[in-house]
Amino acid sequence: MTVQHTNEVSAAFEFRLSEEAIDVPAEQATLADPGAGGYVAFEGWVRDHNEGQRVLRLAYEAYPRLAIAEGRRILQEAQQRFGLKSARCIHRTGLLDIGGLAVWVGVSAPHRGEAFAACRYIIDEVKHRVPLWKQEFYADGASGWVNCERCATAPSVPAPATPHQHEHEHAHVHPHAHGNQASLPNYARQEALPGVGTAGQARLAAARVLIIGCGGLGVPAATYLAGAGIGSLTLVDPDVLEPTNLPRQVAYAAADCGQAKALLLAERLRTLNPRVGLHTHVAAADAALLELLVPRHDVVVDCTDRLAVKFAINDAAQRHGIPAVLASVHQYEGQLQVVRPGGSCLRCVWPQAPRDGLVGNCAEAGVLGPVPGLLGTWQAFEVLRLLLRLEASRDGVLTVDLLGGQTRFLHAPRAPECSSAHGCVRLPANSASAEPLELPDLRAALDRGLCIVDVRNADEAAANPLAVPHQHLPMDRLLQDLGQLPPAAGWLFVCARGLRSSAVAAACREAGHATAYSLAGGAGN
Amino acid sequence: MSHHYTLHYFAVLREQAGCREEQLISEAITPDALYAEVRARHGFTLDAAFLRVAINDVFADWHAPLRTGDSIVFIPPVAGG
Repeated sequence: MTVQHTNEVSAAFEFRLSEEAIDVPAEQATLADPGAGGYVAFEGWVRDHNEGQRVLRLAYEAYPRLAIAEGRRILQEAQQRFGLKSARCIHRTGLLDIGGLAVWVGVSAPHRGEAFAACRYIIDEVKHRVPLWKQEFYADGASGWVNCERCATAPSVPAPATPHQHEHEHAHVHPHAHGNQASLPNYARQEALPGVGTAGQARLAAARVLIIGCGGLGVPAATYLAGAGIGSLTLVDPDVLEPTNLPRQVAYAAADCGQAKALLLAERLRTLNPRVGLHTHVAAADAALLELLVPRHDVVVDCTDRLAVKFAINDAAQRHGIPAVLASVHQYEGQLQVVRPGGSCLRCVWPQAPRDGLVGNCAEAGVLGPVPGLLGTWQAFEVLRLLLRLEASRDGVLTVDLLGGQTRFLHAPRAPECSSAHGCVRLPANSASAEPLELPDLRAALDRGLCIVDVRNADEAAANPLAVPHQHLPMDRLLQDLGQLPPAAGWLFVCARGLRSSAVAAACREAGHATAYSLAGGAGN
Repeated sequence: MSHHYTLHYFAVLREQAGCREEQLISEAITPDALYAEVRARHGFTLDAAFLRVAINDVFADWHAPLRTGDSIVFIPPVAGG
């Protein structure tokens, strides 16, 4: 098989998902080739334990469209790197018992060295990159979902041979690997810019960018960065696409609602620029995931809608000396801040680390698509500015008011206590609390004898009243004086989505009321 | 003694003030006193503790001295994405 035709995977190169048991002799027979000096196979079996738990059996679930596309891409890469005669990988889906064959990889090559190396490469990449989820059924009757290995959740485990390196080789050593030249992005227009050129383009191709949030900001940011030819993009978002996302998250398709946004966006970007290495994590950007991912990237882009996550991203970026590009929107306005190692950071601007819920998010405050569209696009520009080493950005916050047609740059000097390594990485004192702030439902609150307090505005509360006995005290009014709280053993605060109520509960905890809780996810609008 | 200031509001402050900018003659000589004055007038719900102030486009302390002619921005954090 020649490099020019690698878009088509011939019968000798096959990646497949199978609901049925894998027929190993039949698969092995297809590897035969007169030019092959041998074959190497790997079998992955279901074992009876995982992280100290006894496992009885497990089930694999795949996102087939992307799994097959990614699997085929891995086989292509292996073929090009190792000069294989043939390679096959079959991964099971559905229920498997202990000892069951979960995945089979077979390769044939002219020499044994290539065959061993290619087999190892394929199984490692498949486990890391192909979107598969594993549900384990434990001896104690419980079960748990294990995110596919690509979403490595244990930060203590050393990162595997970094996948972006493979992607880079793929992009640079074999620039024509994905079909003819005409179907690939041509960077001539941006290379023509003073300050870019082929050297700048090479910097972009070598860069690894982490994008947290695949929503109104993340869609344009990721799209422009993929188009520009960033070597490796990692997309993180725990959410599935919802109809309310579509008016501003315009890379998605209405028919894809219900599917994971990180995976959908990766698939979309791959069609835009097949050269870009794409990695996805369908997971919330918690401290553990940030600790794992941030040091493996050159720039972090915050496209989230939670202040708590923005601060966590800022802190991780500062700790590891990685620049971060942060942005947020509110109705017709946006704010953007580029945080560079040694410069002022988010905590220099907001030393008090304000809580979510006080300032409103898109769901509560409303948003028009072009506002995050503009800010996300601006973030992509700032990432390119950093990577291309164009005229340096300044320390501070850029404010954009679309309705007023104004931008304003507010200079933020680095706070004296923000030393390059430690000043801004101190966690806010109120971030750690043993007792969870949220309760899952009203029943749990009633069981604890809590007084239920609706903190929505009067019109929201009237439109969708709570079905249980409760008091009504809008957040704004309540926060002015917590002494208004009805006497009770404790309180469960309820708002539309759980942000305002958690801000109120946190304020109560700070004021010494240990039994203040927030209803997770809120009561709806 | 009265001073002349130009005030700029962002996000929820702009909503509650009903304008993004206003000229003001005030006795206040620090941002915290000035904010207390306009908070009472516009009914701002956010306490100064949740805001930052910038004087002539540089983030500043709430007790920094103001001079007549200064441009003052009151800005809350925003979180939408």
